[in-house]
Amino acid sequence: MRAPLLTLAWKSLLNRGLSVGLTILAIVLSVTLYLGVEKIRSGVRDSFNSTISDTDLIVGARGGSLNLLLYSVFRLGDPTANMGWDSYELVASAPNVEWAVPISLGDSHRGYRVVGTTADYFQHYRYGRSRPLELATGRAFNGLHEVVLGAEVARLLAYQIGDEVVLSHGVGEVSFADHSGHDFAVVGVLAPTGTPVDRSLHVSLESIEAIHIGWDTGMATRADPGEDADALTPDSVTAVLVGVNSPIRVLGLQRQINTYGGEALTAIMPGVALSQLWEVIGAAETAFTAISLLVITVGLFGILTALTSGLNERRREMAVLRATGARPSDIFGLLVLEASSIAAAGAIIGIIITQVGFALVSGAVRSQYGLDLGGGFGLSEMSVLVAVTLAGALLGAWPAWRAQRNALADGLSIRL
Amino acid sequence: MSVPAIAITNLRFAWPGSPDLLAIDEFKLAAAESLFLAGASGSGKSTLLGLIAGITPANTGEISVLGEHMDPARAARRDAIRASQLGVIFQLFNLVPYLTPLENVLLPLRFSPERASRLRDAGLCPHQEAHRLLDVLGLDGDGLDRASTALSVGQQQRVAAARALLGRPGLVIADEPTSALDHDTRDAFLSLLTTECQASGAALLFVSHDRSLAARFDRSVELDVINKAGGSR
Repeated sequence: MRAPLLTLAWKSLLNRGLSVGLTILAIVLSVTLYLGVEKIRSGVRDSFNSTISDTDLIVGARGGSLNLLLYSVFRLGDPTANMGWDSYELVASAPNVEWAVPISLGDSHRGYRVVGTTADYFQHYRYGRSRPLELATGRAFNGLHEVVLGAEVARLLAYQIGDEVVLSHGVGEVSFADHSGHDFAVVGVLAPTGTPVDRSLHVSLESIEAIHIGWDTGMATRADPGEDADALTPDSVTAVLVGVNSPIRVLGLQRQINTYGGEALTAIMPGVALSQLWEVIGAAETAFTAISLLVITVGLFGILTALTSGLNERRREMAVLRATGARPSDIFGLLVLEASSIAAAGAIIGIIITQVGFALVSGAVRSQYGLDLGGGFGLSEMSVLVAVTLAGALLGAWPAWRAQRNALADGLSIRL
Repeated sequence: MSVPAIAITNLRFAWPGSPDLLAIDEFKLAAAESLFLAGASGSGKSTLLGLIAGITPANTGEISVLGEHMDPARAARRDAIRASQLGVIFQLFNLVPYLTPLENVLLPLRFSPERASRLRDAGLCPHQEAHRLLDVLGLDGDGLDRASTALSVGQQQRVAAARALLGRPGLVIADEPTSALDHDTRDAFLSLLTTECQASGAALLFVSHDRSLAARFDRSVELDVINKAGGSR
């Protein structure tokens, strides 16, 4: 390859601006699609795998580990059973346990799950890279009949501090058993996290007990609940989030809990369970990648069309280049250079568009969906640029070989 | 005597699967000589030019251009000799469409460092020399930076002549360069071409079927006479 070919290739491409421009556009669109899908995909995966972090164990009644993860973290499905309050106290007081936060599920508000917990929840629940929950407005609950809303609940139901909400028994969208007479005041709204926390309402365990007094039969009675502290200590909770002071103690504690004789319990490590779950639902991400790779391939084949269709018209040009001293390899190099320049231009413009585009929307996406779209020019951009340019050169090799063959066959004559 | 511009001995050439197209025992073009080679189309003259220019390798026999052997086994060497020592003018479509006329004239310098250094050794700037040649050939300054395709055929042929002469090659090959021109343009072009070849000391091999032009050259040869293979036709 000789340096003079670069300017020749450049001028030749400029001369066929429209068709070259359209070919580049096809590659720009396909590269933009691919990088966009990749960024969103990895953002979603990272956000999913760190739905809950810094929690070493989740403990619940004996059952499947995925089921426990689904109801305790994702607020999906129903717990098979509750675990006793004494088991919670035992776990909380076990050696090496730094903190233990109980959660109690089973109520809802207009389809959103209600989480009964302690104020420690706001301190110890972490997501992403150890990001704590933050209050967008207001404060945490510290008494009965106070509720802290997840970001999505507040946004979609248009609740503000001071609004009153009524909780429903059970978890359906429409409930026929409201806890009427127990209006909860909104005292705080959490900042968006991109986790199921956004779709939860948080109240104290005592509040959960208070609204269920007299519900032992499964429906409301008219009995007036006396609100003394002793009566409001729960008999059972749904699950317990546990933090351990040393990572190497986690496995031992998990085994102890799983084999505990007093009550049938299950303890899971959320990180392990999350990646198991992602293996199930993450199959779709492979499909997305495959499709966007196919789109890039289609875009690249435009190069083949653009170069091959112009080849016969360019026979005279090639004969002139040969006559003025070009080698057959120069003819080959010129066309390969044109092909790879088209591909590289498409890739570079596509990368710029995704960079600028994601820079513009990443703030909004983070605050709306809590999704971290990894920014900046990184390894994936670099490899797309290299791979697309090489693929362009490879695709250009075929028309280039044909042009070289034509030039040899034409000898020193111009086909009129 | 100085080295001949072209020396051919015992050349035989056939395209694969075809009978002999060329069989030339002896052909010489002296340095700085201008020669009219007459031949009908299909007589193998374009093939002969391709062999002399080193684009097509010979089967047997020897071709030398300005003392350099056009070795069939060394394609890159033949390309380099052509780039350095030859100027070629075609019948039509001489210009690369995406280069300006001026860039077209300078095109050989892209492929031949020798040609460029010859200009420098003579103390000439390539651009000035290109402008000088274009000026001598009657193309004034404006229009040289515009699209080559905007030029008339006569102008295009003159740009091609300027390109062939740039950097003082030893041999200019012209393949029917006037057959697309009208009578007056043709005469003017021929005068300029022969005069400029003489001035720069280049030998000229001019191929045409139009024998009325033969008188303008030092010597005239019939391809059918020197080509023994062509006699069968």
